[in-house]
Amino acid sequence: MKILVVDDFSTMRRIIKNLLRDLGFNNTSEADDGLTALPMLKSGKFDLLVTDWNMPGMQGIELLREVRKDENLKNLPVLMVTAEQKKEQIVEAAQAGVNGYIVKPFTAQILKEKLEKIFARIG
Amino acid sequence: MIEEQEIITEDNIARVRDLLDCLEKGNKSGAVEVIDELTSIRETDLYKEMGKLTRELHDAISNFGIDDKMAIIAEQHIPDAKERLNYVIAKTDEAANKTLEAVEESIPICDSLNNQALELHASWQKFINRELSADEFRQLSKDVNDFFVSTFSIAKVKDHLTDVLMAQEYQDLTGQIIKKVIHLVGEVEGNLVNLIKLTGSTELKKKEGSSTSLDGPPVPGLSHEDTVSGQDEVDDLLSSLGF
Repeated sequence: MKILVVDDFSTMRRIIKNLLRDLGFNNTSEADDGLTALPMLKSGKFDLLVTDWNMPGMQGIELLREVRKDENLKNLPVLMVTAEQKKEQIVEAAQAGVNGYIVKPFTAQILKEKLEKIFARIG
Repeated sequence: MIEEQEIITEDNIARVRDLLDCLEKGNKSGAVEVIDELTSIRETDLYKEMGKLTRELHDAISNFGIDDKMAIIAEQHIPDAKERLNYVIAKTDEAANKTLEAVEESIPICDSLNNQALELHASWQKFINRELSADEFRQLSKDVNDFFVSTFSIAKVKDHLTDVLMAQEYQDLTGQIIKKVIHLVGEVEGNLVNLIKLTGSTELKKKEGSSTSLDGPPVPGLSHEDTVSGQDEVDDLLSSLGF
């Protein structure tokens, strides 16, 4: 299971990577915004994308739309982990095809639950 | 308004007579001289009045006490505040990394001790149930000794915990800096309100929230319309959308 973690804050990437490792996911890579993440997604075979929303360069929602547009990536599960709590934005993310939405601050338990839910659905 | 000056004076009557005289005699340069003289009387008055207005405006701003203060705020305090806030980011970043480092080094130690304890416990149970061979017992004795040696690494975990403790000092420092910046923002706000009063602007139009702007983390005490208040509400909203 190869996971790409995208967040502009290195500490948040580190926290997510640590939590993922605790859950048994050791194969993780990092990117600090959508612009760096997209080529990585296109060239590497990732099984899951965990992304923040508010980032310089390309934001998470744009990255999600780019992923859904791409023939090879459109089925990639995407989990959004963000501080954005506007209902309008959650709906926007859902319409763009997000697979899970976690609001910061979050717990290890919530991350575990959302990942299980995503993987249960895609079988 | 320019004050009405006395126009009908002996001097002026003499000037007009002079002018008429020059014109009748065809003295062009003399006529121009008199006309210039008459015009300059009006101009001097205009300049005087403009000077008065300028002085009044200057006094009004000086009395108001915002000219220097605002300049100092714009030139010094605002860049200073930016520096301070950048320092806050640097300090919090440093504290977070120090904490993460300590945690990342502690977790493998805990994992290793935990695994050793589990294995020892299993062997010990076998020993109690008399299921252990002599060789296995010798191995158990060796494992017990190894385990004791491993527990010394708890001292390392304690050091890491102390590092985590010390990393929290950022809160005090950043708190003080942020308080100063809040004070500055209050000062700027007060001056801006006074400026608006001075220029006589009517009520400012309330800024309309743009749907594309991102609010970031919710701040307690600030109103957040149409936001969810936690993961449960996110889940409810998504499940209502068929997720």
